[in-house]
Amino acid sequence: MSSAIETVGLSKHYGSRVAVDQLSLRIEAGQVFGFLGPNGAGKSTTIRMLLALQRPTRGSATVLGLDTTARSVELHRRVGYLPGDLALYPRLTGRQHIDWFREARGLADDPLIGELIERFQVVVDRQVHKLSKGNRQKIGIVLAFMHRPELLILDEPTSGLDPLVQREFGNLLRETVGEGRTVFLSSHELDEVQRVADEIAIIKDGRLVAQDSVERLRAASPRKLEVHFRRPVDPASLRACPGVKVTTVDGAYVALDVIGDIGPALKLIADDDPVDLSARPADLDELFLSYYQPGATPHSDTLRSGSDGH
Amino acid sequence: MDTKVLRLDLTLRRRSTVGYTVGMALYTLAVVALYPSFKNTTSLDSLAKSSAAALFGVEGPLTSPGGWLNGNIYGNLLPLIMLLLTIGYGAACLAGQDEDGTLALIATLPIGRRTIVLQKASAMLAQAVALALGVTVCVLVGPAFQLHVGIGPLIGVTVTSVFLGLTFGLITMAIGASGAGRGAALGVGATIAAASYLLSSLATSIHWLRPVRYISAFYWSVGNNQISHGVSVAEFAVMILATAGALLTAVISFRRADLN
Repeated sequence: MSSAIETVGLSKHYGSRVAVDQLSLRIEAGQVFGFLGPNGAGKSTTIRMLLALQRPTRGSATVLGLDTTARSVELHRRVGYLPGDLALYPRLTGRQHIDWFREARGLADDPLIGELIERFQVVVDRQVHKLSKGNRQKIGIVLAFMHRPELLILDEPTSGLDPLVQREFGNLLRETVGEGRTVFLSSHELDEVQRVADEIAIIKDGRLVAQDSVERLRAASPRKLEVHFRRPVDPASLRACPGVKVTTVDGAYVALDVIGDIGPALKLIADDDPVDLSARPADLDELFLSYYQPGATPHSDTLRSGSDGH
Repeated sequence: MDTKVLRLDLTLRRRSTVGYTVGMALYTLAVVALYPSFKNTTSLDSLAKSSAAALFGVEGPLTSPGGWLNGNIYGNLLPLIMLLLTIGYGAACLAGQDEDGTLALIATLPIGRRTIVLQKASAMLAQAVALALGVTVCVLVGPAFQLHVGIGPLIGVTVTSVFLGLTFGLITMAIGASGAGRGAALGVGATIAAASYLLSSLATSIHWLRPVRYISAFYWSVGNNQISHGVSVAEFAVMILATAGALLTAVISFRRADLN
């Protein structure tokens, strides 16, 4: 499968501040790729380099096989972009925006534009400064998708959208990748990404800390187990069990996180005469929080890291 | 020729362009209409010899048609308004739109950066031409008020005043594209223009400044009483070169710029 995006040692420095550091990514075409990280992690700077808005300090990036610094015009013809803080011209209407961008992209009066307007109920006849953030965002969606780009680079795309529109937007993304196109979805919200993404990368302090499929990440995420035993127990055997982290011991109550196969832990629990057990499903939140928190150690070392996984 | 960015910016600037043009035209009409009341006030000519008058771009006898227009329009107010228009747009069209976040949408369209700068320079030209033409048309009604100036010098100074605006507007655009930001571009561009104006205007009364005035774009465009004497080939050439140099700097600056 061909790669839609490939970066090698991509770095961006602003004076002494390192915004993106040695980022090496390979993103296969035909998928929704989630690009996650806390605010200020370097997501938007990475996007700006992918779109040739900014030049890398070091390293290189190819998008749809095109070098971003050498062939930016051709790249822009084939890419759709929705910025994080979408800014439109306040005195122009949605219709004026859409018509101008349609003409700028050399598009005929494509029925897709009308379909997008209808599908997202875009308000096109009012000046943009009179619209809510969500309604402005809908105009941005039309502008990004109107030319059927091979690659969509979306930075916090559902910001300001109500849940129904967010669901419809998720459907649009699935349809897009169903046509073999690629979506690069940047967000700091896991919920937004895990609903639609096939593969996820996590960036923190400008460095890629993990990249894997959602399924593998989920498998590597902790399940939370709470067990009430008939009498107080010694958790030593549970602590020694691979993939198990005992988080609380309070007399006959034990709480633990289990990563991977749950069978060995259940056998040990069964040996100690449990009276009640509750389990929560694998939660990616825990995994991602472990990356987001400053100085925290991730739960799993099974993830492919950006530095050695590619 | 691709004119989408040009048309967009003219749409966005239409109110200010119309405002500047109509305001300056009305002022010009008032100056022209007042000429019969002052044409025989020879005491004004002695006033024109003072250093204070030089500060306001006044040179030569104020009661002659050319001197009257130079002292009230071409030596001061037209360049001032022209620079407000072009420096203001120069700071807004790249640095300002980048700060607003709208430039990223344009810069991610299949339009090269050089084309973007050339179209924005064309939008600046269109605004400057509208302002200068508004003034010229009003001066053309001068004969109805006993104010006669040669058509050649009038066209010449109209063109050089446009070049003057473009030179400083494009310098401001280049400063903005270099990452300085809208405010810094506006400040530096206006400071360079003000220094250039002072150099040209004070050189008429401060002897040691006279050789230095040749580095002032004001001197070559409107500061040498061109409305009376006409614009020389050398003056045209210098202004064309200055504008071209500023445009080239803006193109190079924007091609290397990091955008938000």
